Amino acid sequence: MIEVSLQLLGFIAATILVVVGIAGMLFLDNLIKKLIAFTLLSDGVNLALVSLGYVQGGIVPILEPGASISEFPNSAALIFGPGIVLTNIVIGVSTTAILAALIVALYKRCGSLKASKVLKGERE
Amino acid sequence: MIDTFMTVAYLMVIGVTIGAVAALLQKDLLRAAYITGAESIALAFLFHALLAPDLGLTQAIVGTVLMPGIIILAILKTRRREESD
Amino acid sequence: MNEPITNLWSVPLLVMIPILTAIVVNLLYNKARAIRVISIGAAIAVLAISVVSPYGFHWFAGHPAVNADGTYTFTASVFSWKLSLEYYYGPLQQILIAVTSLLLLFVVVIATKSLSKNYGPYVAIVFLTYVSAAAVIMTNDFYNLWIAVELGSLLVAGLVASSGTGYAQKAALKYTFFSALAGSGLAISLGLILGITGYANITDAIHFLMTNDLGGMHAVLYVAFAFLALAWVYAGGLIPVHPLKSDVYRSAFPHATVLLQAQSKLMLVAIGIVLLRMFGALPFAREVMLSISVLTMIIGIVMALIQTDFRWTLAYIIVSHSGLVTVGLSLGTYKGIVGGLFQAVNDIIYMSILLLCCEMLLYFGKGTSIKFNGGIAKKSPWLAAFVILGTFAASGIPPFNGFQSELIIIQAALEQSLPEVAAVVLMVSISTFIALFRAVYSIFLKPGEDHPVRQSEAKRFEIPTTVFVFLSVLLAISFVLGVYPQLALGFLTESALKVVFVPWVP
Repeated sequence: MIEVSLQLLGFIAATILVVVGIAGMLFLDNLIKKLIAFTLLSDGVNLALVSLGYVQGGIVPILEPGASISEFPNSAALIFGPGIVLTNIVIGVSTTAILAALIVALYKRCGSLKASKVLKGERE
Repeated sequence: MIDTFMTVAYLMVIGVTIGAVAALLQKDLLRAAYITGAESIALAFLFHALLAPDLGLTQAIVGTVLMPGIIILAILKTRRREESD
Repeated sequence: MNEPITNLWSVPLLVMIPILTAIVVNLLYNKARAIRVISIGAAIAVLAISVVSPYGFHWFAGHPAVNADGTYTFTASVFSWKLSLEYYYGPLQQILIAVTSLLLLFVVVIATKSLSKNYGPYVAIVFLTYVSAAAVIMTNDFYNLWIAVELGSLLVAGLVASSGTGYAQKAALKYTFFSALAGSGLAISLGLILGITGYANITDAIHFLMTNDLGGMHAVLYVAFAFLALAWVYAGGLIPVHPLKSDVYRSAFPHATVLLQAQSKLMLVAIGIVLLRMFGALPFAREVMLSISVLTMIIGIVMALIQTDFRWTLAYIIVSHSGLVTVGLSLGTYKGIVGGLFQAVNDIIYMSILLLCCEMLLYFGKGTSIKFNGGIAKKSPWLAAFVILGTFAASGIPPFNGFQSELIIIQAALEQSLPEVAAVVLMVSISTFIALFRAVYSIFLKPGEDHPVRQSEAKRFEIPTTVFVFLSVLLAISFVLGVYPQLALGFLTESALKVVFVPWVP
């Protein structure tokens, strides 16, 4: 059996999520399905960024009271990826909320959730 | 020898994959929203395993409560099942 | 140069005053007068701060290399900076933020006058859009850049959707879906740049790229460039995204579009300068940017020529002139960058004149289509005068400011031995005149059909005094910059010099 590190596993899962999310956003017709696909896409991006910071055999990058400071930079996981992810989760929630509000408003106007029906380019 | 930790990680990756695909194939939108919540729990475990426990906690709360909550609100305000034609 | 380490006082005020105003205004439900007073006061305060503020830095974390006497050294040799999150307020930032603050004041006055009573959330979104524009031009780190771009695109969607028509909501939904895709790409790009260099600060990252050999990691740099360029394209509305962005421009209220176009031009300038500083040395990077800009100009102006509505013509001309800004930037020479930055300033000003005239046209209640109008010049000669002078400014006719910047861009293109680009710029300038004047003629100058009843009621129309003052101010700025371009160029040369010769300095 091929040896797979946890980091590679994370990247594989992230790739699957991103591909599924983009495919769902592009090809599914239902607006709520598109919204769910966007949450999957943002999850995938988060997972990729967290996997970037993983260090094989490392420790959680939190300095415990008794830990040695000299060892810490060599063994701790990198924190730049997770630093972005925390913000990306929040941005994902706000984007989801705005999309959901717009979808509800358009449903009240058009009576449908089908993107091909709602987003038709007719001019007013 | 079977590494228990890696086995669970494999299971969680499979869970994330199945959850993502199942959520998009589900006809009942409400059920699809629940499935994204389940997928988020698997993702939160992966975050833990990848040495980011703080993000795991955040993802567990946001991904299982807030995101499905918003989607469920949108579904309740619109319609539950996908249009067939 | 040695300066003592103090954070500049004005930078947090420029960001926090609008945010606090947005929060307060959002809470004041049904108190029209309070909302009006607070928001106009905040807009004036922001304008005053941006004008009187000195130049300097504001650090959120990290510190530069400190000398013994408490100053820091600003040279390449002593480069042990760990600046991380940083805002920089310089001459370029000053002129762009001052112009945007002026427009914010105008937009707030018009929005609080023309809308119904419960416009608190709307004014809040207007202020937050201004914050995203100000933050993106001041920031010198990828983290704040990313947040400003992401939130800016969400706020664009909010500002458009609040105009309430179904068409606007559709445009907002499409734009938000695309910004969700492109924003994920921007996050990945940010992760890759951080992974290669290890610095969130743009200055540190560029210095790392200049001093270290990346070896086999160059391919990753290309991926990062591609995603950052995608974010540039969607924040500014360049070529593949121009249908979405022009929908956004034409379906928002015209006074909101004044702020929207200013914001997207600031985004274009800020991200374009980052792209130039960071990736300008990569092969093909400038060529990709230049071809995107030229295609944007051509397709935008062609779409503008075939429109039959003044609003839609303006939307496509804004898209086309965004290409004019980025052509100057992506030429990459000193003259080209100065021309692009100057064009951004001029574009914001003359497009605001035309958009405010378009807003006044809506007050007539007959829409903005060129088929159903005519003879407005008789009813409101001042409005016709303003819109014709705005047309002259937009199409680069000498006494106004559009001429000067287009001249600089054409000279820069010729110096780079790219006469094709110069020809396209000329073509855009002429076609702008044709497209605009066609609409202006049939709406304002052509004698309208005479309905005796209607004419009597429409005769009483006058532009509101406030809007008259705003239009005069903008036109005066446009004229002064056209006659004395050195006034604006003095602000722009420093950053253009830095981008070309010392790209690691903000």
